[in-house]
Amino acid sequence: MEPLWWLSPFLLALMVGALCPIAGTLLLVQRRLFLANLVSHAVLPGLAVALALGLDPGLGGVLSGVGGAALAERFSRGERPGQVGDDAVLNTVLAGFLGLGVLLIPLLRIRLNLEAVLFGDLLAAAPTDLGRSALALLAMLLLLGLRYRQLVHLGVDPLGAASAGLPVRTLRLLLTLVTAFTIVSAMTAVGVVLVIGLMGAPALLALPGSFSLRQALGRAALIGTGLSGAGFVLAVQPAVNLPPGPLIGVLCLGLLPMASWRQQRSGND
Amino acid sequence: MVLKVSDLSVQRGRGLALDHVSFALPAGSLTALVGPNGAGKSTLLQAIEGQLPLTSGAIAIDGHPHTSAEARRQRALMPQRGEIAWTFPIRVRELVALGRLTSQRAGCCDVEAALQRVGLASLADRRLDQLSGGQQQRALLARTLVQPARLLLLDEPCAAIDPPTRTELLRVMRQLSDAGLTLLVSSHDWGQDLDAYDRVLVLDRRLLADDTPLKVRQALGDLRVGNHCCG
Repeated sequence: MEPLWWLSPFLLALMVGALCPIAGTLLLVQRRLFLANLVSHAVLPGLAVALALGLDPGLGGVLSGVGGAALAERFSRGERPGQVGDDAVLNTVLAGFLGLGVLLIPLLRIRLNLEAVLFGDLLAAAPTDLGRSALALLAMLLLLGLRYRQLVHLGVDPLGAASAGLPVRTLRLLLTLVTAFTIVSAMTAVGVVLVIGLMGAPALLALPGSFSLRQALGRAALIGTGLSGAGFVLAVQPAVNLPPGPLIGVLCLGLLPMASWRQQRSGND
Repeated sequence: MVLKVSDLSVQRGRGLALDHVSFALPAGSLTALVGPNGAGKSTLLQAIEGQLPLTSGAIAIDGHPHTSAEARRQRALMPQRGEIAWTFPIRVRELVALGRLTSQRAGCCDVEAALQRVGLASLADRRLDQLSGGQQQRALLARTLVQPARLLLLDEPCAAIDPPTRTELLRVMRQLSDAGLTLLVSSHDWGQDLDAYDRVLVLDRRLLADDTPLKVRQALGDLRVGNHCCG
């Protein structure tokens, strides 16, 4: 075994550990975290088709994920997420896209390790995975750099943002695009199913007590990086020897009591 | 006239939420928009905001069609409490500054002056979720004030706040109208607070009354006999 076999997987774990919680925090404050769950399942048909066509599976995954989100938005009953019936629409699209992806694999006669796509295979991380994650991180930083205050306005007061003439649809589309890109880039590390834990749990812990979205994003990225890095280091210990992706997913559970405690403490400020 | 609504009808679902409504507001007026739940108060404000298609009629703000860029600059909306994510991680000062996000032109106040005007200067660096309900309403009003608008649409700003805070908010609104701003304020309040306004519009899909508080109160008595409005 090469002495630096661990370097690419470790770097990927750190990068995804920072990126996913940033995306998750942004979605959570926009009351749109459901998108992460939906997009993470909706990437599968695109991955399959891209592989069949000899294209980059990441590109297919992003397009398919955004397509799934757009379809769900089209059939949701109201402007605001969480209205009656929206959950049923989301779950139907999620199941439909996942089912389509599973069907396409044998139909297109492609070889796809479905288990690795769903639950990750961090130890198999290659430089292309690092490059994809770096690009996703860059896209996220660009979105935040160029649209930060608009995203804040949209999060605090969506109606007021629309009324003030902000490009609400464009902002939501950009957020969906970056979310899909984030999920695809985290595929190797934790898989498209477990990624939702890494998007949600650090955000839950980071938000209480934060004085600005910027501070919450920074905290979430730090928590996620620590969690993901620690999960990887723990997983590769000879005495443990477990797949890192699922272990990181389990570690996310440990953040819930801490998030609850911080929420109570923040409420008492 | 700063706001002119002419023969406005808006359809929602199968029925009309607003049915041939007409009125006009002069500059510097403080007007209450009252009516029972489902009367169309929020629909009317949203229509003036340009967020709903008009079934018939027209709305002009300062002589400009309500969907024009100039009309958009001239109006500002303070939404209902339920529209705001109060747990969003943001300081009061940053929330107020959002009012300037889409315009380079100054409103009647800059951020600090708006905070002073609503009595929140000392709480400017608090998180939004650390404020009481009444303080949060005042923060929203401050955000409305930094917008370069002549017409302020306030959607139930006095809902769910205690009487002293309500009195304070009404005092600030009066100051704003005295300074030349035009305020249209939707409210569930049919009590003595109506006297704080110059005019009262009573809406129940149609405009039932448009007059001074005293005359509207008299008219309301007649309407209550007819079971049109809740008290």
